[in-house]
Amino acid sequence: MKRALFSLLLAATAFAQVRNEDIVKGPGADWLTYAGTYSGWRYSPLNQITAANAKNVVPKWVYHVPGARGLRSSPIVYQGVLYITNTNSVYAIDARSGRLVWQYADPRAKEGGVNRGAAIWADKIYFTTSDNYLVALDRFTGSLIFNRKFADVEKGTTSTSAPVIAKGKVIVGSAGGDGGMRGFIMALSADNGDELWKTYTVPAKGEKGSETWGDLIEWGGGAAWLSGTYDADLNTLYWTTGNPWPDYNGSVRQGDNLYTCALLALDLDTGKMKWHFQFTPHDTHDWDAQSWPVLIDTQIMGKPRKVVLHANRNGFFYALDRVTGEFLRATQLIDKITWAKGIDDKGRPILLPNSEPTATGNWVCPSVKGATNWMGQSYNPGTGLLYVLTLEQCGMYFRSSQNPEPMKHFSGGGATEEGGQVVLRALDPKTGKRVWEYPMTGAGRMWTGTVSTAGGVIFSGDDDGHFVALDAKNGKNLWHFNVGELLTASPVVYSVDGKQYVAIASASAVFSFGLFEPASGVEPPVIQMKK
Amino acid sequence: MRALALALLAFPLLAQHGRYLSDSNNPAIGDPKAIAAGTKLFMGSCAGCHGPDGGGGARGPNLVRRSLWHPLSDDAIFQVIRKGVPGTDMPPTKLADDQTWHLVAFIHSLTGPASTNPVPGNAAAGKDIFWGAKAGCANCHAIRGQGGRLAPDLSNVGGSRPLAVIRESILEPAKDLSYLGNEAATVELKNGQTITGVAKNRSNYSLQLVDAKGRLHLLQMADVKKLTISESTSMPTDFAKRLTRDELRDLLAYLATQDIRLETAKGSK
Repeated sequence: MKRALFSLLLAATAFAQVRNEDIVKGPGADWLTYAGTYSGWRYSPLNQITAANAKNVVPKWVYHVPGARGLRSSPIVYQGVLYITNTNSVYAIDARSGRLVWQYADPRAKEGGVNRGAAIWADKIYFTTSDNYLVALDRFTGSLIFNRKFADVEKGTTSTSAPVIAKGKVIVGSAGGDGGMRGFIMALSADNGDELWKTYTVPAKGEKGSETWGDLIEWGGGAAWLSGTYDADLNTLYWTTGNPWPDYNGSVRQGDNLYTCALLALDLDTGKMKWHFQFTPHDTHDWDAQSWPVLIDTQIMGKPRKVVLHANRNGFFYALDRVTGEFLRATQLIDKITWAKGIDDKGRPILLPNSEPTATGNWVCPSVKGATNWMGQSYNPGTGLLYVLTLEQCGMYFRSSQNPEPMKHFSGGGATEEGGQVVLRALDPKTGKRVWEYPMTGAGRMWTGTVSTAGGVIFSGDDDGHFVALDAKNGKNLWHFNVGELLTASPVVYSVDGKQYVAIASASAVFSFGLFEPASGVEPPVIQMKK
Repeated sequence: MRALALALLAFPLLAQHGRYLSDSNNPAIGDPKAIAAGTKLFMGSCAGCHGPDGGGGARGPNLVRRSLWHPLSDDAIFQVIRKGVPGTDMPPTKLADDQTWHLVAFIHSLTGPASTNPVPGNAAAGKDIFWGAKAGCANCHAIRGQGGRLAPDLSNVGGSRPLAVIRESILEPAKDLSYLGNEAATVELKNGQTITGVAKNRSNYSLQLVDAKGRLHLLQMADVKKLTISESTSMPTDFAKRLTRDELRDLLAYLATQDIRLETAKGSK
């Protein structure tokens, strides 16, 4: 009887469901995964808003997320509902009106770090709590379907990234690398949260690669705190790893410290590492490799290639063959780099002296924040350009002689960030060279990414709280709107009823914009209250 | 169709501070002996103002209800007992630390989430009542993905509500006057279509409605001919008669165990 009732209810709720092919197809009206596409493009084929009419963009609604102070979340949009996360919470918002549909909060979660977003699969919304529970919710009502713990916060691991779901596997990562932990990437079943595989980003003692460490290998870091990209044809995930621990004291971990500050290519079905590429061997500047591995097919050095592009925190812009992991090319992402002269033929940095953190400090460019960071980049197939937020900033790096102790917020030193300027740069993936740049005013504090469209428009944020539209061809500013606080996340594009919107989270609210339409007065609705 | 006292259920989600973030690690919390000792202290010194069950009196607020809109951590309750509330009738005390913790343990047993307190009854028997036809809870309420979608999800009811509030919600579901966010609604559209369900949100301009099949409808009020909203709860109000005392106790014991922070075996509910 019970069972019969349930199956009846289940059948009734089987409405439209998000399938693998819907996400592979890429965005249209909906925005179904963090970067819009599995390949990390943050590109929308919608073309209602164009470079010619972007001057008519106006705010359509604002939703103030209760208690939010620094939203890092990039929304998911499906069938007119926008899903955004804050720390240990999810909000479903009517994407046309900005009205709340439901909210889910788990305020008893241990830890309270940032959250970068939700994922959608079938009829469920997924996100992770800061203490490593995968939570699945009914997309219509926010009812809990299941929650499963996938890692122990007691071992220094927390969770911040938006899950990426492919072929029924929910891919989650691990944060906490600045305090000592062992990074990993995991696949969990979208049906019930069961663990399907787990791949550590730092080898165990005795395993291949462990010879690149010392005694602290068990706490080596290599956190995987940003979601990655996926090539459905190659069945391969591309995930980046964070810094080795302790961050600023390299003397206690002699060697390359594999597989930190690297890009890993993993088989989706097994989690097996197909190849790895380490951008910053033996990092001592906290230059996590967390920025988006963007997958495109293009001509490089005269040959058509399946390429993964990577603008790295260490100051260089890389192109690798994503089938083999072969290093193809690296160019300067920012103007001022003082720690390396360049990248050699094998992809290793050519080091310059006096770049290591010391007791009295060394002045190094880029700063600890990096030449770029986790903010979303956009690849536009119309212009053939990649749009990357970069930061021209240097800082002092210090090393502490204190004995490293894991899980005590000890990072082996510290760093300062001094001055600096954010510059949005358009890069040509074929050559690695800059095509144009858009410098901003501000203090280098923003975390805004970019989105670009078939309408030839880039949406992004200035470093001072202005949401802006730029011409994707030449970077010309077309429109701006002051949201009144810092922008700390990446925008998305969607449509409802054939009308195009662009939405972004600021520090405390979600804004959605669209083309101006004259208002029409609304007759008071007939509402009858019934006893 | 609406079930538990819905307005009550909406409140604690908004409280991002206090109890739900920082439960004390003091061993007195949840310890039956400490709670018993705290009961004696409470009856002697606190019940005069706050009522014997913490339900409030002429001079002191209802501690149980207050915990829903202004939850305090155990440590904060400790400090209030110690220091009093200046400018009110609540005086400071000179109780020893362990006695103060006994008192906190008793207050926690009244106002803390049911899952963190000793609860009488047989949860296994209560599970059958919840999912059975006599009570019919699952027709409208869901727990961990099973059950109805119209009424509030109860997967975390024990982890977020004091036992007294859950009991009251079952026995007197119509006691609350505002159901905003969970109103039973029937909407007639200008195109002739009629949809019945729960209004998750509404304004003069838009309506977000979940229908009986659990599907979400995002409507413009410009398309609405008439919206009918029920002023009362659609949860049955006869559970005091429908269930025996033992059945109610067991149902409460089962609901008290529903806590999203408790590890559950795969597929269990």
